[in-house]
Amino acid sequence: MTLAARTWGRMSLTARLTAILLPLAVLLAVGTVVGIVFILPPTMDFLGANMPLVRFVVAVVGILVLTIPTAFVLIYMELKVIARMNLRVGPNRIGPWGAAMSLFHGFKVLSKEDFAPTGADLTVFTLAPVVTFLASVMTLLVIPFAPGIFGQDLNIGVLYFFAMGGLAVLGLLMAGWASFNKYSLLGGLRSAAQIVSYEIPLTISVVGVVLLAGTMSMNGIVLSQSGSALDWFAFKQPLAVLIFFIAATAEANRTPFDMTEADSEIVAGFATEYSGMRFGFFFFAEYVNVFIISALLVTLFFGGWTAPINWPWPYNLNWLDAAGIGILWIPIALVALVVATDILGAAIWLIGGREWSAPSAFGLGLLIAGAGVTAAVGLACFIAFDWVQGIFWFFAKTYVFVFTFVWMRGTLPRVRVDQLMGFAWKWLLPASLLNLFVTAAAIIILNQPVIPR
Amino acid sequence: MPARPTRPTTRAARAETRGETRPQEPRPPEQHRSEDDPRIMLDRDVGADLYEPIPPYPTRTEREGEFYTRGDGEMFINIGPHHPATHGVLRLVLKLSGEQIVDVDPVLGYLHRGVEKICENSDYYHVIDQVDPLEYVSSLFQEWAAVLSFEKLMDVEVPRRAEYIRVLSGELLRVASHTLYMGFLALDLGGLTPILYSFIERDEIVEMLAALTGARMLFNYFRIGGVNGDLNHEFMSRLGDWMSRAARQTEANAGLLNENEIFVRRARGVGVLDRATALRFGVTGGNLRAAGVPFDIRRAHPYSIYPELDFNVPTRLEGDSLARYLIRVDEVRESIKIIDQCLHNMPDGPVMAKLPRLLRPRPGRAWGACEGPRGMLGVYTISDGSDQPFRFRIHDPSFLNLETVPTLLPGNLLADTMTIVASLDPVLGGIDK
Amino acid sequence: MSFIPGLGIAKGMALTLRRFFAPKATIQYPETKPDIAVRFRGRLQLLYDEFGNLKCETCFQCAQACPVECIDMGGHDTKGRFYTHWGPAETYGERREESALRRSGRPVPDQAFTHFGPIDLVAVEEILEARDYDPGNMLPILEEVQAAYGYLPIAAIKHISHVTGASYALVYGTATYYSHLSFERQARTVAVCRCTSCLLAGSGRIANAIGEGLGTKLGGGPAGGVALEQLPTHTPGAASPLVTLDGKPQADVTETSAAAWSRSLAGKSVA
Repeated sequence: MTLAARTWGRMSLTARLTAILLPLAVLLAVGTVVGIVFILPPTMDFLGANMPLVRFVVAVVGILVLTIPTAFVLIYMELKVIARMNLRVGPNRIGPWGAAMSLFHGFKVLSKEDFAPTGADLTVFTLAPVVTFLASVMTLLVIPFAPGIFGQDLNIGVLYFFAMGGLAVLGLLMAGWASFNKYSLLGGLRSAAQIVSYEIPLTISVVGVVLLAGTMSMNGIVLSQSGSALDWFAFKQPLAVLIFFIAATAEANRTPFDMTEADSEIVAGFATEYSGMRFGFFFFAEYVNVFIISALLVTLFFGGWTAPINWPWPYNLNWLDAAGIGILWIPIALVALVVATDILGAAIWLIGGREWSAPSAFGLGLLIAGAGVTAAVGLACFIAFDWVQGIFWFFAKTYVFVFTFVWMRGTLPRVRVDQLMGFAWKWLLPASLLNLFVTAAAIIILNQPVIPR
Repeated sequence: MPARPTRPTTRAARAETRGETRPQEPRPPEQHRSEDDPRIMLDRDVGADLYEPIPPYPTRTEREGEFYTRGDGEMFINIGPHHPATHGVLRLVLKLSGEQIVDVDPVLGYLHRGVEKICENSDYYHVIDQVDPLEYVSSLFQEWAAVLSFEKLMDVEVPRRAEYIRVLSGELLRVASHTLYMGFLALDLGGLTPILYSFIERDEIVEMLAALTGARMLFNYFRIGGVNGDLNHEFMSRLGDWMSRAARQTEANAGLLNENEIFVRRARGVGVLDRATALRFGVTGGNLRAAGVPFDIRRAHPYSIYPELDFNVPTRLEGDSLARYLIRVDEVRESIKIIDQCLHNMPDGPVMAKLPRLLRPRPGRAWGACEGPRGMLGVYTISDGSDQPFRFRIHDPSFLNLETVPTLLPGNLLADTMTIVASLDPVLGGIDK
Repeated sequence: MSFIPGLGIAKGMALTLRRFFAPKATIQYPETKPDIAVRFRGRLQLLYDEFGNLKCETCFQCAQACPVECIDMGGHDTKGRFYTHWGPAETYGERREESALRRSGRPVPDQAFTHFGPIDLVAVEEILEARDYDPGNMLPILEEVQAAYGYLPIAAIKHISHVTGASYALVYGTATYYSHLSFERQARTVAVCRCTSCLLAGSGRIANAIGEGLGTKLGGGPAGGVALEQLPTHTPGAASPLVTLDGKPQADVTETSAAAWSRSLAGKSVA
């Protein structure tokens, strides 16, 4: 037995913890100082020199990460909303009100076997879900979530969006062809025909907006709608909104245009032979698509991240932070949380009597205080920061449309293939052309200057 | 027991382990390939016809030979027996050109149990619960047909209260069956919600009937000469609850569909069954009335107390899927009207006739038919004087209604298959018997 | 369909939105239980009367009336004497064996109702190996098994059926058809005479020794397939002390050799 081991054996628990943690803390402190002094500046210089690249990487990672909670929330929302419309309760066992349901769906999908049918073209079969998923994710790149928060401000943002939307068809077609299954094949071909047909009215209906805004950049379109709700393009282009909404529903393969996976006709369409995470990618892509078309609808027609009403009072950080405390508000909020928890917990414990044990009383206190402090901080941030407001309005508006899509799925039956195509070519396309013509004519006649940006 | 080494199970395998080889039997020449054939998986050239639904036997009829010969650009596709949209285990082999249906080959028999033969080996009392699972959506009507036939055979006078209870429970079940029909039609057209509203409605009715008959689905309630058990308080209170909102609720549920443009567009003009074809195929029930023939057994060959009741026979002229759907909507209204009349005129008295414990009718034959939700449900019984029927023949309306599918489908799109089949309302339990 | 396009769709959407806020029809099962009608007969349970006694009297009327023979009953009678059973015969081994015996015109042994015990299957294996596991040689196999065990154990028959692939019913049918095959152990009987002359010649001590060797005692029931009994009458002309094996006098059994003889007897009779 060495000296070290003997010493270690004689030490108390606290002493052992100290013996472990103290050197660690010292090392960490030294490391931090060294890092800040020697490593940080050149790194920052390097990153600063490559700012567009850094921004791109951060945006891509952020958007990839964003898809996961988005899809989870949408799946849960669909389960719950349709259930309630069906007079059911929906998921209610896992998590509060069943909120962890889609998370466990994810685990289930991950743990399932990934198999390919005999005769399938394995390369294409494997690539198809990736293509579909990436097409959806890449579309998110141009959507402005808030002032300054967007993946990339392309000056051809709208065009980029439709290009990526076209890429999604490729994934579905690949899946349908490679599955070696006639249901899949029919589904793939249906999706190709459908999306190609609906691309045209979809694109033409947006041209009116582009004419009005004078730019194809998403940011530019949002900015040209700033002001109140009356400045939204939805009121200048009501027909275009309708066309866009219908065509986008078809583009995202949502009910009543979910021809590609019509379960009562072609089982599951292109996804028939998929299982496990490959199917999960399709599933993800579908819900991300719903989010995207809602987001696009909001961006193009409903003012994006702009607020529907103007704030009549002046607000900014200085007004809010009159005491000039600055970043110290963070520790103050934390202290407030602790104090409020203690006071509330003690009050509950004293008033509640024997039914409340100390942990549960303080737990409830923490819950209430946490909610209160979060609400206060959130409100302060909402008032103080532009981007918090932007994100709030953007997501609020987007989820209204997401709800509409789910609502439609809960209500409507599916249209037939020929009716679907006939509707696109006979009604939507002429209507969108009419809309474009009228918009262009109005701009010329009213001599409204095309705003250059 | 001491452990012993495992041994090969077959004689040939054991002989091989001993080093003896036996002459191989020559393989039969490969004629017909089916997906059940394991040899097919050894093929190097995995062709597109690997999963073709080609029957594993030589074609038996000219028609079958014609059907399974593919033309240019045509393909076969299986709808059923386990497809999300088929009712029960119906299998339709469709020959498609693109999405358009060229030809259909319905394959039945996945649910065949030989019920008629089982009935011929049961006592007359036992027949009633044997026929129950045939029309499993509305099993009281199948019982009713059998009981009508037996009562004619034995000259049994059914008490009036029992007749009223039969009509009451039967019409309740007709409402349940039609509601379910609407839901399934909507489900096959892609609507998620109406089916659940239908099931909520049906569940209320079925729970109510469970209070009356003792079971939710296979009631086994009608008896030769009456019914098994009188009305009780629980049933009546549930019925009263339901009646107070039935009309409103069924209207609201139907409103989800019959005004919906998408639904109407998909059902109107699809699968038009004209009057002549319907009569030629022996179609009955709502499907015939949708084609313009006001034929209803309750009026045409009245039985039970239907002559005393006031109700209409809804008829439509179009004969398409929408008309078949709307006929059901109207019939639900009429049924609610009948239930109301039954409740108001319910007489007092016994619910069972006095009958011997052992039923031995005189030799003879009898036909009993009633109007089920899907059409004429008939039972033809021949008695040889023993306590079991000598011959027991079940006439099922779903079978005849389904027979029109091969004439209705060709020329339509794949998606219309579901509309047409669902609007004809087949129940496979009765079809396959 | 109305004349305004989209009105029907809007009405449907309004209905679903109303239902979104309506009370739900779901019954949260384990927490709330739905009312089950009093007359509901789908409950699979036996009912008890108000004194807590089981109402079922095992009268078999329900099993008899069941058209698909899904009701299957078994139980002891009220005095706990007999095991009675009613149900589809083919689902129960003992029923099947019983009916096979009855059809072969032989009395039904109670043994058929007891479960067969495990036996040492080495001998069966050897016999089967010699016969090439051939179901065609079933009769010789069964005869040899009987010769080896002294009777046909049920376990051996099951094993034969399992290994040769012949169905159990077939093997059983063969075994019950031939009258020289028996399912019962052919018990051997050692009898000791206790007449005065034999007692004087030491038959009491011999009986004790034999009992020790067999593991039983006089009047104590059989052990290891051998029963030790008292001879009712002295066989005329036999020498004292008289010991018989299956009725044959054994002259060589003496006081000294009785223990070894009985032990060898117990060892010989296969257990």
